Amino acid sequence: MTGKRVYVGMSGGVDSSVTAALLVERGYDVTGVYMKNWSRDLPGMKCPWAEDLADAKRVAVQLGIDFKVFDFENEYRHKVVDYMIDEYKKGRTPNPDVMCNQEVKFKLFLDAALEDGADMIATGHYARIITRDDLAYLQMALDANKDQTYFLYRVSGEALKRVLFPIGEYTKPQVRDMAKERNLFTASKKDSQGICFVGQIGIRDFLRQYVEEKAGNIIDKKSGKIIGVHEGAIFYTIGQRHGLNVGGGLPYYVIGKNMDLNEVYVTTDLNDGALWSNQIRLIDIHWINSHPKASQYKIRVRHRAPLIMASLDYSNDGLNLSLENSDRQVASGQSVVIYDGDICLGGGIVV
Amino acid sequence: MDNQEIIYLDHAAATPMDGRVLSDMQPYFCDLFFNPSSPYAPAVGVRKSYEEARHRLASAIGAKPSEIILTAGATESINLAFTSVDHGHAVTSNIEHASVLECAKQHDHTLVSADKYGYISAQAIKQAIKPDTQLVSISLANNELGTIQPIREIAEIVKNERLRRLQNSVNTPIYFHCDASQGVGQIDVNVSRLGIDMLTLNAGKIYGPKHVGLLWVSSHVELRPLIVGGGQERNLRSGTENVSGVIGFAKALELVCDKRTFETKRLEGLRDYLQSKFVQAFPDMIVSGHPKYRLSGHLHVSFPGLDGERLVFLLENRGVLITTGSACAANKNTRSHVLTAIGLQDFEADGSIRITLGHLSNENNVKRAAEIIIEVVRQEYERVAR
Repeated sequence: MTGKRVYVGMSGGVDSSVTAALLVERGYDVTGVYMKNWSRDLPGMKCPWAEDLADAKRVAVQLGIDFKVFDFENEYRHKVVDYMIDEYKKGRTPNPDVMCNQEVKFKLFLDAALEDGADMIATGHYARIITRDDLAYLQMALDANKDQTYFLYRVSGEALKRVLFPIGEYTKPQVRDMAKERNLFTASKKDSQGICFVGQIGIRDFLRQYVEEKAGNIIDKKSGKIIGVHEGAIFYTIGQRHGLNVGGGLPYYVIGKNMDLNEVYVTTDLNDGALWSNQIRLIDIHWINSHPKASQYKIRVRHRAPLIMASLDYSNDGLNLSLENSDRQVASGQSVVIYDGDICLGGGIVV
Repeated sequence: MDNQEIIYLDHAAATPMDGRVLSDMQPYFCDLFFNPSSPYAPAVGVRKSYEEARHRLASAIGAKPSEIILTAGATESINLAFTSVDHGHAVTSNIEHASVLECAKQHDHTLVSADKYGYISAQAIKQAIKPDTQLVSISLANNELGTIQPIREIAEIVKNERLRRLQNSVNTPIYFHCDASQGVGQIDVNVSRLGIDMLTLNAGKIYGPKHVGLLWVSSHVELRPLIVGGGQERNLRSGTENVSGVIGFAKALELVCDKRTFETKRLEGLRDYLQSKFVQAFPDMIVSGHPKYRLSGHLHVSFPGLDGERLVFLLENRGVLITTGSACAANKNTRSHVLTAIGLQDFEADGSIRITLGHLSNENNVKRAAEIIIEVVRQEYERVAR
């Protein structure tokens, strides 16, 4: 029996390992693919790509499937890393994982796999796909705790027609158990943390490699007084509490910054209006399928944030959201994702 | 890999420490821990043992103790040997270990091409020597293929060049360094018989501790220190001496030298058995390395069309530990420069594995390994054909 040819993106982690195993068991003709997106070591962090690649290949060998390496390092650098650095330079807080899914995994990888003879691709994302009336809908994962649809809202419905997310039907503990039952080499491998190429070192240390540090003032909004010095407004995000080099007393929160003047504005007042808002304006809107019609949907303002009700006001070049209650201000550049029940409709980027 | 006997076939990457080496080292961790440079009697005792170890190392290679620089392994020794080049040129081969190639890259250099067996002819070295050549560095045996190089002939070439310069009143020195990390257990490394100027040895490859090595330097060679500080090792390698490591190194070297003839014969028998079994099972298989001048425990084979790394992973699941090339190249997921240099096509190089036998090898486990490897290679050929 030869089923459909599926190329599975294998990262060397447990989720994509189980994804490949399940597809083999279901009779698909499976090929494992390691996407080589990034291999640069950073100060204090050795990029684990070679080990991850070896782990992915080990699992492929265990499963008796073909294994390939697709090199997207140049494209990834341009579409994801440069985008991220540029956004930060503009004073915004981008989400590179969203961009990686949109540009690399569900565009470059999909196209390269189809070109190579695949019928479909699969990844180890926690999400589900429902097909109805020849349309593919993105549904939240069964494990609400692990649901990754927030990162997938910019993938096109057309692409999803050729995608499988087998582990979206399981909880993370079940996935780990399945890996152990099958004695997969990656069964007890630790989950990766944070943005893949930034890894453990944190975004701040990553950016330091690409932008010059420049001292600027930290200004208390209320008093207008300079209360400290920072090493670059680019490193600060609205709502951020930590990392201000001002000692003692109540914690300070970033409530604004001026990239031209290289100034960061802070407050100790958690009730400061700038920290809260019931209005969000989105641009760069992406709908997975068609433009939705209703005026009220649930939204999510960051990965794993609770779903909250919002009224949508569709304008020509964007989308205005009104929340029932004021919520913590979402930083410019972040994504807000819109849901109809457990179906992810799409979303946009905060102005 | 639980409850399964491990068959280790990668002695060129690392060797298990000999129990006798370990017992010689043991006292120097907790009891005789003194700094050999300290003034009190127990420390002076440690200094004495350390210097005795240096004597033993020297006598194993027919050298003077004062010519031995103890280092933290072969890579350091090679780097130190290359300090003999100041503004001049270096000659080495295109199949050297990365530690030599990277050192050569820091100077004007010529890479002499090995032939299809990985053999470097002395004549090719002669042609590569320029008026400003200061160092020729060739390893005793290639780590991937096991090919043994004509060290004495190359030494003769270097000597003649030195003489020629002397006769022409040219005072640019020229030295010959030989990295004998691979092969010291199987080949006589008496430095005067080899006719070389510098020799690198590594304890970790001869059933001694890792991260311990030596550079033997003939007294006429001038070197510059890479690590400065307290002036240990004749000012060429500062840092408190690795007493236990060096004592273990001396024991390890004595042990492999004692058993050299016996072990070489034994491994040759086992290797030839493996090779004949493979050739029988896979007539298309390529055996690389010199048919005659090859380390007796080395077997490098290529299965065209297969993926060597897949074989490594399939075999590790069966308890058989082999590698695709040198451990250093395998880590970087790059094709071995050695295999490209000897003219293997990509589809041949990619299907290569290296088997290196040693103390852990015996008739039983080599026989068992042959069966498992043949089974796994067949299985992969079948999978690829599907």
